[in-house]
Amino acid sequence: MLIQHLSPLASSLFSLEAIATLLLSFVMLGSRWLKNYLYAFAAESWIIAMLSATAAFFGGYPELYGIAALTFFFRGIVLPLLLWRIIRRLEVDREIHAVLQPSSSIVVGALFVVFALAVAFRVAERLNVELPITVLALTVMLSMTLIGFLILSVRHEAMSQVLGLLVLENGIQIGTQILVPGMPLLLELVILFDLLVVVACFGVLVRYLEIHAGTTSILALKRLVG
Amino acid sequence: MNTREILLQIGQVLTVLLLAPLLQGIIHQFEERVQRGQGPGIFQPYRDLWKLFHKQIVVPETASWLFWVPPIVAFTCMLTVPILIPVLTDFPLPLSDMGDILGGGLILTLGSFLIILAGLDTSSAYGGIGSSRAVMVSILAEPTLILVFVGITLLAKAMIPFVVNHLLVASWPAYFSPAHLFLVAAFFILLLVETDRMPIHSSTHIEVYMIEEGRILEYSGPLLALLKWASAMKQFILYAIFCNVLVLPWALSLKGTAIGALGAAAGLIVKFTLVGCVVVFVETAQSRLRFYRYQEPLAASFLLAILAIIGTQIF
Repeated sequence: MLIQHLSPLASSLFSLEAIATLLLSFVMLGSRWLKNYLYAFAAESWIIAMLSATAAFFGGYPELYGIAALTFFFRGIVLPLLLWRIIRRLEVDREIHAVLQPSSSIVVGALFVVFALAVAFRVAERLNVELPITVLALTVMLSMTLIGFLILSVRHEAMSQVLGLLVLENGIQIGTQILVPGMPLLLELVILFDLLVVVACFGVLVRYLEIHAGTTSILALKRLVG
Repeated sequence: MNTREILLQIGQVLTVLLLAPLLQGIIHQFEERVQRGQGPGIFQPYRDLWKLFHKQIVVPETASWLFWVPPIVAFTCMLTVPILIPVLTDFPLPLSDMGDILGGGLILTLGSFLIILAGLDTSSAYGGIGSSRAVMVSILAEPTLILVFVGITLLAKAMIPFVVNHLLVASWPAYFSPAHLFLVAAFFILLLVETDRMPIHSSTHIEVYMIEEGRILEYSGPLLALLKWASAMKQFILYAIFCNVLVLPWALSLKGTAIGALGAAAGLIVKFTLVGCVVVFVETAQSRLRFYRYQEPLAASFLLAILAIIGTQIF
């Protein structure tokens, strides 16, 4: 495994990038404006692309450079642009009916990070890789997944839903980049195109909601329409 | 314990006592200049204190003995804390083992607690509002402060500020570790909160959303001067902890010579001016929030402290 023989410099670079990603997902959790979510998501994707490139450089996996470029292009530019077009067309700037206020959700997110750390210690112990960087990668992966679920459950705007899904997926991506950087290229490609499909579906869903329910809040989907 | 160390310790307290109004003046001057005003000059706080000390004391009829206590206790507290922290020297001076970081925090909080009581004592509406708001903010600020202290303790394996200073000076990896950077960010937000520069405050001080000013509205003359001086000293102490323990642990007197101590005092002014610039920049660039969003910066600070603690667990 790559992570078992990393130089201190590479190790600190990995941890810096992983923690920056985690911090950006907290920015998404704490902001009210949909545009800020989007900027944070784009920045997060760029950092993940940098992380892939770092893994490629230090681990000697040339195909990871390709993944870094794809990640940068699709997650960092194409997806945010598509979402930005949807947001611009919608005239919905911000989350109005949040279940949990941003400050409370940040605190809940912090508790999730603590929980993720506890789980990561157990997992690393069981796998017999108790390196700091492994624990960190597992913590970031688990806590970003949990934060993604949190965004999915406390935000009602359709845009927030799709961004929550994307954060969740970013978390898994960053975990795989650090833990198993040699993951086959084909899988990565499949995941990237899956994401495109997800965003396209949500675009259609949002249009549908807007036309038939007059709102973009997914709460409108609770009602049965014959 | 020799004479020179005792003199240095007295020097530390005097530095805080005498330079605190200067720091206040520098920050106010910067603020005015950023807002394209002329500014009163950096020595205005000294002139204010001089003027207040020559005025008579007017005591409200509703005030009890409690009205007289807080200015004196707050002032004394702020004179006590500099003994515990590195202001001029990077080695412990006599009596600095009286308390650790938590002890210093306790004494700082004692001062603000008595000022809260003073706000309630005169039963004026503004004092009550000021006190209740101050408590509301500090309920959220205190746990975060304690978490930051826990983070510092886990980072340096000690609760003595001098140890933290030595660790950060000695090792660059520790300085640039995520744990330390998060602690700096969390403490910076607390610094803004404790010196009344949250985004919910406006730049003028006496207005509907006042917190600090509301509590001391009934005071006049020398008592008001003591309170203002104490609050300037509290700001100076927090800046000293922020700079000398966390962010810029350099430029302290290593041997304790007179030249070194003077150089450290000059270095303090430079460092505090830098931090003051950043504070004024943040305060100006940050748009003003609704009053009831006061918990958001504190939640962010709490989060950063938690991340710092996690960082110390991993590294």
